[in-house]
Order: sequence, then structure tokens, then C-alpha cells
Amino acid sequence: MNAIAAARRTWNERLFYLFALPFAALVIVFGLWPIAQSIRVAFLDSYTALSPDPRWVGFANFETIFADPYFHASLRITLIFTALSVVANVAVALGLALAINSPLVRRGSTFFKLCIFLPVITPDVAAFIVWKAMYDQDFGAINAALAALGLPPMAFLARADSALWAITVAELWKHVGFYTIIFLTNLALLDPELDRAAMLDGASWRQRLVHVTLPQLRPAITINAVYALIQFLKTFTVAVVMTRGGPNFATNFVSYYAYRRFDEALYGEATAMATTLFVLVGALGYAMYWAAERRDWR
Amino acid sequence: MRFRKALAAMVAALLAVATGAQAQQLTVWHDLGDNGIRWFNELNEIYRRTHPGVTVTSVSFPTDQWFGRSIAAINSNSAPDLLFNNYERVIRVMTQTNNRIVDLSSELAAAGDTSFITEADRRIATYRGRMIIFPVQRVQMAFGVRTSWLQRANEQFPSTWADVLRLGQKIRENPSGGAPAYGLALQAANPRDLIHMLDLFMFGTGLQHTLINPEGRIVIAEPRHAEVLKEFIKAFTEYRLVSPETVNHSFTDMYRMILGGRAGMFRVGDWNVRGWDTGTADLNGDFTLGPWPAFRQGDQNAVVIGGMRGVAVPENAPNRAAALAFARFLLSREAQASSLNNLGAAVRSDIPMDGLSERRLFFANPRGRLVAYDFPESVHEFYPQLEAEYHRRLLAAIASPPRDLDAFISQTSTDLQAWVDQRRPR
Amino acid sequence: MTAHRRLVQLAAYLGLGAVSLVFVYPYWWMVVSSLRRTQEVMTAPLRLLPERFDFTAYEQIGRIGGIPLAHYVWNSLAVTIASTAVAVLVTALAAYALSRRPKLRGLQLVRYGFLLTIMYPYMLLLIPVYLVMHQLGLLGSYAGIVLFLSLGPIQFFLFDQFFRSIPKELIEAALVDGAGEWQVLWKVVLPMSRNVVGTVTLVTFLLNWAQWFPVIVISTAPTTYTLPAALLLLNTELGASFQAILALATVTTLPVVVVFLLTQRRVMEGFAAGAVKG
Repeated sequence: MNAIAAARRTWNERLFYLFALPFAALVIVFGLWPIAQSIRVAFLDSYTALSPDPRWVGFANFETIFADPYFHASLRITLIFTALSVVANVAVALGLALAINSPLVRRGSTFFKLCIFLPVITPDVAAFIVWKAMYDQDFGAINAALAALGLPPMAFLARADSALWAITVAELWKHVGFYTIIFLTNLALLDPELDRAAMLDGASWRQRLVHVTLPQLRPAITINAVYALIQFLKTFTVAVVMTRGGPNFATNFVSYYAYRRFDEALYGEATAMATTLFVLVGALGYAMYWAAERRDWR
Repeated sequence: MRFRKALAAMVAALLAVATGAQAQQLTVWHDLGDNGIRWFNELNEIYRRTHPGVTVTSVSFPTDQWFGRSIAAINSNSAPDLLFNNYERVIRVMTQTNNRIVDLSSELAAAGDTSFITEADRRIATYRGRMIIFPVQRVQMAFGVRTSWLQRANEQFPSTWADVLRLGQKIRENPSGGAPAYGLALQAANPRDLIHMLDLFMFGTGLQHTLINPEGRIVIAEPRHAEVLKEFIKAFTEYRLVSPETVNHSFTDMYRMILGGRAGMFRVGDWNVRGWDTGTADLNGDFTLGPWPAFRQGDQNAVVIGGMRGVAVPENAPNRAAALAFARFLLSREAQASSLNNLGAAVRSDIPMDGLSERRLFFANPRGRLVAYDFPESVHEFYPQLEAEYHRRLLAAIASPPRDLDAFISQTSTDLQAWVDQRRPR
Repeated sequence: MTAHRRLVQLAAYLGLGAVSLVFVYPYWWMVVSSLRRTQEVMTAPLRLLPERFDFTAYEQIGRIGGIPLAHYVWNSLAVTIASTAVAVLVTALAAYALSRRPKLRGLQLVRYGFLLTIMYPYMLLLIPVYLVMHQLGLLGSYAGIVLFLSLGPIQFFLFDQFFRSIPKELIEAALVDGAGEWQVLWKVVLPMSRNVVGTVTLVTFLLNWAQWFPVIVISTAPTTYTLPAALLLLNTELGASFQAILALATVTTLPVVVVFLLTQRRVMEGFAAGAVKG
């Protein structure tokens, strides 16, 4: 009896290993293995990196990139853009979610959700090609609209001081729907009794928002912020399609700069940048999650 | 390691589709788009008549994809049979693949009469002592102007830079068609793009180098060079000769400005004419060709030979012998005629040219002065990085124009010279 | 009170309406501009309807890089559907194993490995992935593209969350009744999972349709390119038609928009569920 049970247990264990095996294989072969290779290349001499006997150079590639002022600028731009985008996406998504969730607009809320979510599922290359053309200072639809409204034209992507903002807006358009939907899902899970009780106590709309709704949404805000952080630190396609890191390196995100290094066949430096970004994503993501979680424990 | 191998074998066994290797199927990788594909299809038909067992298929990639792919393929022993591209790009592939490009010099001798390949062509095609391409197409680039806009402005075809500036201003102040228009269409997003544009003006006015000479001296601060460079930067800043968006423009956007009819003057490559000549294209034949403007009195306006496209064979080409035979065929009269017809360029001049439009003859049978690129890539291994460095300086100057351009140029020259001296083998 | 409420309501509708308009306008602009000559678009970018319907761009993209457009459409469909099927099957099984036996030695490693993978900026895996595919003999094959795309960012979380929500008692009851693990999976869990499988399928389909970078890296020729990858083929130095680029962008975008509009509820729930407790 015991022997049979034990045999069955081992069989079952094997079965579960079997279930996990294909996924584990995918993770190893197309995730961990290439990542390990990529990190390995960061310690190799670029010119021999792809040959059968590459030359190890220790931390030389890291020394090179950290001595490069353009890489410093690139890190700074990436961090500024990420901070801007995380705040903008979370704030705008929260605002949109609260508005759509409001009983005032019950009819038509699906339509609003559809419109806002549509960009999330749109292929990014196509979307950014369109945005680039719409942003054109002289021939774009946005300045034409501003002119029709009697407003002065804007430079958008053409100037270093406005390009990052312009990209932030395009990226917001592309992604905010995702965060909005997460907030909406969480709003639907809220306890309506709390709100009703506060209303009976004579709390205003604002008081209820600050003291009842927002505290309950805190986990959702955390999740959204961590997701947005990971997403925007890795921003890439928008730079490829819209600015090529320009003008004058104003949108030279780390991932794009590293890609450019690849293009110049400086594989060592490129992967050193990628590894740095990887560490940054991991560390910042974890720190943010940890900070938010710890606050929740109190 | 063993696990990795086992896994590899397992996955490969499970999924690899059996590919029956066809011994005489030749593959060419190029970046010539649909015109190139049409050309290679035509070549395949011609070649099959004399080589019944051989089929040639060509694959076109955007230029940046072509690079990465060719380098990676040769390094990992999955190379195609032939590469077709600009000479300096083949050099880059060669330097990054441990020199695995076949030396064609003995093949050229076997190709019969090749007297049409000049000594200069031969020099250009030789790198590290090897002939790495057969020159197949001389790439020429001229200056184009919208004919109707010239008439509107009551101007002649601009032959000096002053003419360009005057016409540019007229175009900007009195644009045709109810929207803003600019004098020139340029591009500046990638290092190669911007410096390529600068090259055209430098060589077009008869200079020999843009950035560095073969001895490793930076030339940008020399008086004639500095003048072109200064005016070129001012085209972006003071003169507003180009759209302010140009800093983000690469080829697609430059073509949008030209074909969308918002730029009066632009680069015209020999490959562009066929498409732009016909009534269906956006430009609708409304353009005039000529040499590049001269910057100083006494300079001769020139059409620029901006490159040499040719065919190269990787050392690990799957069908090396057949590939070499096909490469020789590309120099034959038939292949050359097909090249001229499909891509507007060839290296032979003893091919039929009747029926070509005047603008196509402008390139096919050049009468004026031709000035060729200096191909610094072939001399200085560090050139791509030097160019990227230079691009950074130029972008900075365009973004926030220095008060004293001369000082900027001489400072840049000093800095770049120091950069070069650090890297030059002694 | 009511008058005030009416006013607020009107303001809310107007505000949200304006926002929605901003969100969908780029699509309108894209479709209309793909039907106008580049010259016309550049002189009057705001026109809401074409001055005349010009379909030349759609004729132009009939062949891209010597390959018929239909071939790219077919590739997109085949690659997306196949990778979705593999992703759903493989991820579901793994998530099920992990939620049923979280303590089993080594299984948690799979989770951490996966988390590491989705944190890496994956466009920078360009060369390693190329080498891996080469070593596996999958370079240039549909199989390589499909397998790579089968590893998605949120599918695992969706399944993980769902399987954890299944009451343990339900499964234990079945086991006590003498059912084997296979039977539990087939007879108890699977029927309950129909919904989540549908959701993950949709989400994966939409995500994988948009992929371009892995497709370009793993392909050795445009014969295996999908629509978004083909979109980048149009950007050549020998000439590019802006109108054609917009036409292809429209062809690339339209299918996902249609699928999304038909299944919107599920898709939005799916995307949200994947993140709610990520």
C-alpha cells in the first residue's frame, strides 16, 4: 500500500516536472542562455567577440562606457524620461480610470475604454511612423491643428529641448490605456460600502477620493508604477522610428545607444551598456516594489 | 556544455525542417530593393542559358540589416554565396569577419577583357592587398532642381553656392503650392547620412577629402574645406535652407521631402532617375539635373562618384566556384546592359544606350567633370568611429550654433587630430 | 443639485469625448493619408477626407522586396497563430505545475529564470539570440521565430493567477475519489480554464502580431518576415514612398484593430488580470 502510494507520488512528481519542462526549456534557451552570452560578451574584446577564440578584457568595456560623457548623458536622459513617463502614465491613467468609472458617464464608458486602449494593441512601428509624421513642424497635422486654433506652432521633435517631451506624449498615448484598464479593474473590486458610509458622513467627493478610494488603490498604483518603470527604462522602438536618438542626442536612450554601438560592431561596449541597463532595471524595479510593499505592511 | 548540446540536438531534431541542399542554387544578398530584385531575376534568366544547372536568387535588406546579417552570417558559417553592395560596406564586413572575403585579383584575369576597369577602380577595390569586389556599378550623384520652381523664381540652374542660397531664399519666401517649402532636402539623423551629404558638397566643388586624408591628417580646417563646412552648417542654422526636422531625417524622410514636393533642390542618384522620370511618380519628371554647386571662383562643378557597387564572395560561400563564375559574369556586356537598364549604373561604356532619356544619359554617358570619393574606410580602420565622433560635433553645432564658426572648426580639427593620433599605428 | 449634476455630467462627457478623439485620430489620419498623394498630405495634413481616393500606394505594396504582400500577410497569420498556440500550451502547463506543486525542488527556479528574462532589454539580445538560433539550426526558419515568440511577458502571470484561484478542496476531492493527476487535469481543471485559455490566446495573438525585432533577427531572408518587419523593409536608401509606408502601416494595423474590437472585453480583462497581481 505504502509502496504504491510512494510510487504514485514519484510518478506524479515526474508528471509535474514534465509539465514544466517545455516552458523551462524556452526560458533557458531563449532567455537565460542568450542573457548569459550577452553578459559574457561584455567582458570580451569587440573585434574578437564573435570569433572562436575571443580575447577577455575584464572590465575594460565598462571602463570605456563609464568614461564616455555621452553614456552619462544617455543614462540621465533614460532616467528623466522614465521618471516623467511613470508619473505621467500613472497619473493620467488614474484620472482617466476615475472619470470612466464615475456613475456620471455610465453610458458610453465602453466606448471611452475602447478608444483609450486601442493604441496598446497597435503595432508600435506603425504607430510611431504615424506620430513622427504628425509631429512634423511644417507639414504635420498637430501644428496644422494648432494653427487652425490660432496657436503658435511647436517644434516637437525638431529641437533638443522639446523632443523628450514629444516622445513622452507619444509613449503616453501608446501605453496609458494599459494602466487605465488595470486601475479600472481595481476600481471595480473596491468595497462600495466604504464609499457609501463616507457619503452618509457628509464627506465631499474630494475627501472620499483622498481618504477612501486612493488608499484602497495603493496596491494597483504600486503595480502600475513598477510595470511602467520596467517598461520605460527599456524604451527603444520609439527612438528607432522617430528620432534615432536625436536631435543632438536628446533622446539617446541607453537601449538605443547600445543598439547603435552594435551597429558600429562595438559588441563589447554594446553589451556592457545592456548589462548596466539590466542591473538598473532589476535594482530600481525591486527597490520600488520593496518600498511600496513595506509601506503597505505598516 | 553537455546539456546544452543535448538540448540543441533535441530541439534541432524535433524542429529542423529537412532542407535538401541544392548544389547550384546561388544566393545574393544586397540592399537594392525591388529594382535590384528585378535586375537579379533578369540576370538569372540570361545566366541560365549558358549555365542550365544554376539558379540565382537575390534577397534585399535595408542597408543596416544587410550589415548585421552579412557579418553575423559569415562569422557563424552561414554565409550566402555572394554579397552585393557598396565597396566601403564590403570593407566593413571584411574587417569584422577576420578578412573572410575572397581575393578576386586572379579571377579578374580570368574574366576576359576588363580594360574598362580603370586603375583608379582597381585601387578602390583593393583592401589589405586583396581585390575584394568586382566593380559592377559606378554610383553617381548629381544635383537636382525642380524645373518649374526654377522658372517660377526666374533663375538659371544654380552653379555656385551663392546661386543656391538665392534660389533657396526665393523658394522659402514664395513657396509653391500653399505650404512651406525649403531650398534643400538633406538628412542628418545617422552619422553616415549627414557626412554623406557633406561629402557631396565637398567633392562636388572639387575637393579630394571631407574629413581625413590618407596620411591621417584631419583636413576640415584647411581654408577651402572650412569654407564648405561653414556654409553647410549655416544651411541648417542661419540660412534655414533645410527643414528644421532634418536633424531627425534619414533616407525615408529625405525622400518624403523630395517626392512630397516640399524641397526645391536635392540629391539625385543615377538609380533614382528611372522612377522619377515617368509620369506616374510624384515628381512627375519636374526636375533638372546638373553638377554640384561650386563654392569658390575657379572651382569646377562636378558630379560625384559616390561609390562603387560591386560583388564580393565570402570565403565560406556554400558554392564558391559557382559564385566566382557568376561574379565574373556580372562584368559581361549582357549583365552590364541589364544593370544600366534596371539600376541606372554600370562600369562598362560599350553597352547599348539608345532609347535612354536625356536625364538617364546624363549618368550613363557622362560628359562633365566627375570627382570620386576618397574611401577613407579603406585606409583607416578606425574611420567609422571617427565619423561618429565628427557627427556628434556637427550635430552639436547645428543644435546650438557656435558664435565663432571658424573657432569651432579649428577646435574640432585639433580634437579629432588628437583622437586620430591616439589610434594610429606608429 | 440636479442642474449642477447635469452640468458636471456634460463636462465629463465632453472631456472624455475629446480625449477619446485624440486617441483615435492617428488611425483616421493614417488611413486617410494612405489614400492621398504625399504632396497632398504635406500641403494639407488636416483634411478629414481624401480629395480623391488614390489607391496607387496599395498597388505599390502589392510586392515588397520581390515578395507578394499576401505572403507577408500569410506569414503574420501563421507565425502569430502558431506561436500563440505553443505559448498557451507550454505556459499553461508550467503555470499549472508551479501552482500545484510550488515546493517541488527546482520548480521555483523556473519562475525566477522567467522573471530575469522579462527584465532584460530584449532588443539587446540581438547577437546572442542569433548565435543561439544558429547553434540550434533554427536560423531563418519559421520554427525559430515561433519558438522565440512563444515566450511572452504576461501569459505566465495570467495562468499562474488563475490556477492559484482554483480552490484546493476541489482538486483534493477529485484525488480522494481516486482520480489520477491526468484525470484531474483533463476532467476538473481544463473545463474550468476555458475562459482563461481564451483570454490568454487573444492577448498573445495581439502581442505577437506586433513583434518585429525577433522576426528580423531570426530570419535570413524576407521570405519569413511578418507585416511589421516588412514595414521596415520599405525604408531603403534607394528610394521610399511615404504613401506606401502608410498603406502598409494600415494593412498591418487593421487586423489587430478588428480582432480587438470584436473581443474587446476579454482582451482588456486579460491585460488587466495579468498585471493585477503580477
